[in-house]
Amino acid sequence: MMEQPHSCCKGAEMLLNLQPTSSVSIQYHPFFGPHDDLVLLELDEKLLSDVLYQRVTLRGQPDEDAVLCTKSKTYLVKFVGTSNSVFLIPPADYSTSHESGGENYNQQVPTASVIKVAPGNMELVEVAPRLDKLKSILSENLYSSDEASTAMGDLYKWDDLINKVQASDDELKAGLQALSAVEIDGYWRIVDEKYMDVILRMLLHNSVLNDWSLDSLVEDKVVSVLESDGFPRKLVYHCLNVYGSRVEEAMDGGVWRLDARRVCVHFARGILREGKRKMESFMEEWLRMIPEEIQPSFDLLEGEVLTEKLGVETWVRALSVSSLPTTPADRFSILFKERAKWEWKDLEPYIRDLNVPGLSSEALLLKYTRRSQPSIDAEPVFSAR
Amino acid sequence: MQIQVKCSCGAEKCPEWAIIELQGVVEVQPSFQHSLQNLQIGLLCRPSSQENYTFTVGYHELTGYKVALKKPMVVLKKIKYMDVERQIDEATSSSSCVELDVVGFIRHKILFKTRPTTLISGPQPTVKEKINAEGA
Repeated sequence: MMEQPHSCCKGAEMLLNLQPTSSVSIQYHPFFGPHDDLVLLELDEKLLSDVLYQRVTLRGQPDEDAVLCTKSKTYLVKFVGTSNSVFLIPPADYSTSHESGGENYNQQVPTASVIKVAPGNMELVEVAPRLDKLKSILSENLYSSDEASTAMGDLYKWDDLINKVQASDDELKAGLQALSAVEIDGYWRIVDEKYMDVILRMLLHNSVLNDWSLDSLVEDKVVSVLESDGFPRKLVYHCLNVYGSRVEEAMDGGVWRLDARRVCVHFARGILREGKRKMESFMEEWLRMIPEEIQPSFDLLEGEVLTEKLGVETWVRALSVSSLPTTPADRFSILFKERAKWEWKDLEPYIRDLNVPGLSSEALLLKYTRRSQPSIDAEPVFSAR
Repeated sequence: MQIQVKCSCGAEKCPEWAIIELQGVVEVQPSFQHSLQNLQIGLLCRPSSQENYTFTVGYHELTGYKVALKKPMVVLKKIKYMDVERQIDEATSSSSCVELDVVGFIRHKILFKTRPTTLISGPQPTVKEKINAEGA
């Protein structure tokens, strides 16, 4: 059939294009061996081009399970063994690092050579990014007002974070945003809450003084006034970003609107930092601190505070969803330690942000909680499994 | 630590590899254990225009078929190299770097999963097929 040996009568090509009524000799490759450096990775079709076009990396420390990251997703890499014999056949021109020998077989006979018997293959499982580590390493060195004296120890640039945190680039960016982190001199920092409080209060104080509307703060004015009060420019912008949003429709750009929820939550956390308070006492102080322009409502504090009845009194204490673990098992464990039984309306804000690829919130509840209903018209209650 | 996944042959030129999969284990006669190179395992035939195949290993004949993998696979080669520059910069960390190179992809395999039939006559096999005890 073949008049002279050429690549299509050998190797994988031969095998995959075997014609009807033809046969091929399956042989051990001249360089057959364990080849532990050759591994098979099974992946979804949609990831294939990312891999071939060099858009994926493996991330993690030597003591961690490896994860594979595309630009926006993170996958755990797992090995799946097989008891079958999986003969791996390379293309005809495949050669290993040893160049000598191997060409002494009869090239007239169509052959396909087995380089290795694979014990199994790697597969990918999509996972939520491991962002708990991000928070803990950035919290090692909070940026505070006396920065000059406290800036020692480890600080992290973007590339350092990539090396330490098992998350894709997009997920890492989102994680930094969720932590209200700010890049100062190339280093990513979380600013101390007390320092943020000082800057915010100064901004609000100046708003009253200068008759600024909190719905349309002019960036240039705010920055120049606060800078002359001694605050670093970068941090003034950061304050606007943390407590407000840009007004898109503004003509000349650089106009901000303070966000009611974020401002109210900030002051609530400040009051409750030292411990729980009676509801009346909390409300009185909280309403006093909130600027006139902002309409406060207790609902704004969902996912940030818990109320409980002790005797005849109602008490308020801080529990911020942002302080809780990101993995579902740990999250539910802490929630049930804080309170044994939860109604859905109280629980929902504390699990809303849980991200488990492939699991809906109903499925999460089924997996991690026990649902009970005291009577037919009572609200269902969730407790630990 | 970040390990780059490369494809040094280029995405368009990345070659296709193949897999033959058997439920069983191929055994080599003891006298041939140390000279496997180029040793024939068996003969694979495609009798008709269908994607059915026979694989004759020693006294056994297996029948199977070509199947498209549910999910494609890539073949990765681990490459370790010494980065001299890194050695100087990071005195405390390991001075060897690892990269993964995509050397091929796989979309099809030829799968044999039925019990083999035994051929009554044939040459003394140097390689024979043995059915897995657990019948995986």
